[in-house]
Amino acid sequence: MIKLRETIELLAHNGVEFVIVGGVAVSLHGSSYVTFDLDLCYARSADNLRRLADALAPLHPRLRDLPEGVPFVWDATTLRLGTNFTLSTDLGDVELLGEVAGVGTYEDARAASLEMRLYGVRCRVLSLDALISAKRAAGRPKDLLLLPELEALREASRSDD
Amino acid sequence: MKRTTEDWLLNPPPTSAAAAARAFGIDLTLLVGRLRLSPEERLDDLQRMIDDIEAARAWREQASDKAAGDDRVTRP
Repeated sequence: MIKLRETIELLAHNGVEFVIVGGVAVSLHGSSYVTFDLDLCYARSADNLRRLADALAPLHPRLRDLPEGVPFVWDATTLRLGTNFTLSTDLGDVELLGEVAGVGTYEDARAASLEMRLYGVRCRVLSLDALISAKRAAGRPKDLLLLPELEALREASRSDD
Repeated sequence: MKRTTEDWLLNPPPTSAAAAARAFGIDLTLLVGRLRLSPEERLDDLQRMIDDIEAARAWREQASDKAAGDDRVTRP
């Protein structure tokens, strides 16, 4: 069970560069969709890998699909050698994405994001346009089911423009 | 006259994406309620839903374990 506030505050206070994507981003835009993990697109600079590794280390991150007893080292090197990490942590499930299908790298995600103030910290959240592109690119049934709601939200937000 | 977001969702034009969402089964009044909240409030709302669902799952597991235990006791 994810603790959203604690996780976002922890990352922000450690200076980690990330964009909130996935189900939490969808919810932040107004969707009633319920998700049980926090998906983040993260910058893959050496400094940010180190900050991210250091920030999550106290939460004992572990790959969710790794069999019990198989060793897993959590550090910046592990992050550098992979791209996407589906983690369980002491604050819940977190998915780290080096790239988002339909959007691109962190730099692309950041360019397609908007700032939201959450718990006193400025966070980047993927825009509705980019979320729609991502859901279309992912193409799983659960992603496609979200599209009508997201498109309605996008259209309605433009009605105030 | 320009329509507000709420008005658009509560009375969507016939060929709009909002009308299509409603036809798909999306409850647009839920979206209106969510949009009245700030992003931080939406996140708190989501956390409450997560917590409630997890609590319900834990209760169901406990009830299931108890029923299995009772079943072992009552069977000859």
